[in-house]
Amino acid sequence: MNRALRLTAGLAAAALALSACGGDGDDSTEPAADAENGGTPEPADIRLWLNGPDTPQSMRDWLVAEFEQQNPGSTLTIEEQQWEGLVDRLTTSLGSESETPDVVEVGNTQAPTFTTIGAFTDITDLVPELGGDDLLQGFVEAGSADDKTYAVPLYAGSSYVFYRKDLFAASGIEVPTTMQEFVDAAVKLKQDNASVPNFSGFWLPGQDWRDGAAFLWDAGGEFAVEENGEWTGALSAPESQEGLQLVQRLFTEASGAPKDGNEADGHVPFCAGEVGMMLRPGWLRGSLEDPEIGCPDMMPNVGVFALPGSDGEPAPVLLGGSNIAISAKSPNQELAANLLRIIMSDEFQSQYAENGLTPAKVSLADGLGTDEFAAATVEAVTNAKLTPAAANWATVEGSRVLEDLFVAIANGGDVQQLAEDADAAIADQLG
Amino acid sequence: MLLLPALAILVAALGYPLYRQAVMSFQEYGLAQQFGQPPEWVGLDNYVTLVTDSYLWTVIVRSVLFCFANAAITMVIGVALAVLMTLVGRGPRLMLQIGLLLAWAMPHLASLTVWQWLFDSQYGVINWLLLNLGFEQFAGHSWLIDQLSFFVVATVIVVWMSVPFVAFAVYAGLTQVPGELYEAAQIDGASAWARFRTVTVPLVRPVLLIVMLLQIIWDLKVFTQIFVLQDAGGITAQTNLIGTYIYRLGLGEGEFGLAAAASWFVLLLTVVLSLYYVRVLIREEEL
Amino acid sequence: MRTRTRQRTFGALAVVIALIWMFPVYWMLNSSFLPYNRIRAAEPTFLPLNGTLSAYGRVFDSNFFDTLRISAMVTGITVVAALLFAFLAALALSRFRFRGRRSFILAVLIIQMIPAEGLFISQFKLLEGWQLLNSVVGLSLLYIAAVVPFTIWMLRGFVNGVPRELEEAALVDGCSRLQAFFRITFPLLAPGLVASGVYAFLQAWNEFTLSLVIMTRPENMTLPLWLRSFTEANRVSDWAGIMAGSVLVAVPVMIFFLLVQHRMTSGLVSGAVKG
Repeated sequence: MNRALRLTAGLAAAALALSACGGDGDDSTEPAADAENGGTPEPADIRLWLNGPDTPQSMRDWLVAEFEQQNPGSTLTIEEQQWEGLVDRLTTSLGSESETPDVVEVGNTQAPTFTTIGAFTDITDLVPELGGDDLLQGFVEAGSADDKTYAVPLYAGSSYVFYRKDLFAASGIEVPTTMQEFVDAAVKLKQDNASVPNFSGFWLPGQDWRDGAAFLWDAGGEFAVEENGEWTGALSAPESQEGLQLVQRLFTEASGAPKDGNEADGHVPFCAGEVGMMLRPGWLRGSLEDPEIGCPDMMPNVGVFALPGSDGEPAPVLLGGSNIAISAKSPNQELAANLLRIIMSDEFQSQYAENGLTPAKVSLADGLGTDEFAAATVEAVTNAKLTPAAANWATVEGSRVLEDLFVAIANGGDVQQLAEDADAAIADQLG
Repeated sequence: MLLLPALAILVAALGYPLYRQAVMSFQEYGLAQQFGQPPEWVGLDNYVTLVTDSYLWTVIVRSVLFCFANAAITMVIGVALAVLMTLVGRGPRLMLQIGLLLAWAMPHLASLTVWQWLFDSQYGVINWLLLNLGFEQFAGHSWLIDQLSFFVVATVIVVWMSVPFVAFAVYAGLTQVPGELYEAAQIDGASAWARFRTVTVPLVRPVLLIVMLLQIIWDLKVFTQIFVLQDAGGITAQTNLIGTYIYRLGLGEGEFGLAAAASWFVLLLTVVLSLYYVRVLIREEEL
Repeated sequence: MRTRTRQRTFGALAVVIALIWMFPVYWMLNSSFLPYNRIRAAEPTFLPLNGTLSAYGRVFDSNFFDTLRISAMVTGITVVAALLFAFLAALALSRFRFRGRRSFILAVLIIQMIPAEGLFISQFKLLEGWQLLNSVVGLSLLYIAAVVPFTIWMLRGFVNGVPRELEEAALVDGCSRLQAFFRITFPLLAPGLVASGVYAFLQAWNEFTLSLVIMTRPENMTLPLWLRSFTEANRVSDWAGIMAGSVLVAVPVMIFFLLVQHRMTSGLVSGAVKG
């Protein structure tokens, strides 16, 4: 019985995938076939937790309609969660049979916290039909533990450089194609605009290690490395030092951002005309174009490019995004799996691309479009990296060692000494 | 019999959680246990981890200093405002009460955000004001990067938030002081200060003691204000207090056993710090 | 004459302090009328001239009134139950001598000192066992327990301040003991009740963490959760919306206070003792 069930479900998914490729999206016959076989699970109300605004309303509507059509009698309720406090809420709710949501979105850095403890259902067998090798592998790794997969990627996003075309023209700078040109441009912009208070050739607030990571990685450095199953901090290694020295140069010679500030609200100094370039997630464009938040008047002078690396290829920037998983305590495992199939379908995933996010499947990245912004997104993702895959990495982020390190570097501290201290703290937390 | 409802609700809502908290502090209890794996009994390991952490002791000293400074400042201002309420007419009193209440009622999300904006280094009203008053050095001045300055800002915010409670509680206590006593003292020729000390203070003593004690307890546990300010600026390692440090130790990542041990540890610390007050309170009880 | 001028001086001082204290509140109000690109700018905007009401539009569009209803119920239950239970307990502690009295007082005090950060995990399990998750009653229960120790202490001080003779006089008039407590003592505690009531009100009204883990269904959201939703509504926080929402959240508190504030001064001083 059980096997038969899984088989029909699999067939339905395969059919769905096929029709999605066909492009007309008419799947209405499949669930009916299911029902005749008596293979559909008991109808139920499925609860899906999605976080923040990244999945727009149109996609949610589509998802609800599609799910309810494929699973007659069942309903789908999408409950929007906030990132803040999410871990507390998941910690309690996922453990409760009566209150658990059936399917949940988690941040890719939060995923390892839950995969290692049995909070999510093992979906290793499902992975091939959900996308298999086509999925963003870094995210699959983040959602896996002990050779089993518990969470698959939902979407990703990475940062690229926003710049002021008019300021570039005034300083006679072309769009940089290597890291060296980029740094030179950042320093020159600041020198040429010294009369503007707080001006940044390249805007980099002191706490912003997430964007600073690109310079560390480009120089061949790492935050932490694994040797014989032991994680240790790698910030004092020579390659990392080279990267951090460059970060210090940017802080002192190119940035006018607060030396201890955070990276939220980058659009404020940008719209105040105090920024030549900044490395920000693609969604910032929406904020800049918003008449109440940003400065639409400035948009004709705003261009974007992917941060170039030393070798002329795109530099490795930090990749952020989400994973999605089924709660192990959910009483509706079959329906939850059905929902996951729809979420991972090409048809749904390509809608992320249409909304400017990198879809979970590499093959769908073309859907991002062809304009300047899409090109920068696609390029930026090609070499993007994730934070170290250590199980306790969340503790390192929680203790703010890296924020402290970058603030100290921004304030002109001794990079070698600071990095050694940070390595010790990181080794302590990962050990 | 009259105690029953209060007792019942305390036992119901806190009894089991506190018991579990106590048990957990002797266990390796993390997220995995929360999801059903049997916890491992580790005896005093969690406590040993805590007390052998030298940074923790730095944090404790810092927290105690911060706590006493804040509790003292809050009490002085709060009592002064409560007395002021008794000295003024109805209009100004209501105005002062509403002002304080507004500060108290303002959702923390809003008040902490506003305070961050006010002290912002590049767009803050305070730097803008100082700059326009001719203090050029405050252009882009960061109020949070320096440790002492960070705690001054934190103190301003904490005091601003807690004074209303003290002022209201003490003022309520003051209204119980019969006016006749003042008149008698006035006839005796006592000065205003002497009247305050000899007549008012003894009568509102129970309220003063409990409010002071609560301030000490709360200021020792202060969390949100520091957490938010650390996010805005400054160096975390230099500005952690007990509350934020325990959180960063792993509560945020689900190290519940360690966090439970830390809770009991902080409780012990609080009891030690407030022993004097507790003894006074209990002694009053015997009267 | 001299006292008149002195009272004026103090009055002026009180008003000045009130204004200083209110400045951050004013800034919240000011920000709620401004588009975000004017809230944070090199030149601060002190008056919301050419402001906009759009933030209030957004705030009312979301389910403010449903949320308000939940918060009002939780807060109402908490305030009434906490005051009632604490009043009874305070009477017992102040008017009777019995075994265990001292340890009860001590226990109540110690409960105040327990750091509550990690407690929510166990409290969640507790309510799960009683099937009180996502219920107003369940959340209220935790809130009452959180505020009742303080209210007991506070009211106990006030009960001590009420002369025992008043109750005895009532007993002579033929009241039962309990009647005497409720008819005579209770009204005389008004200032203490108001002060602890405002405290209990604000604790329940603004609490976030417990509400976050207990009230997980959208239809059971309380106001602090609702307010938080504006921080992520649009990727960039909707600060004008948050400030507008905060203004709305603070309004019921002010109404509550204005309704009860006149009781604060009508305690013993102006009340029964003289009459």
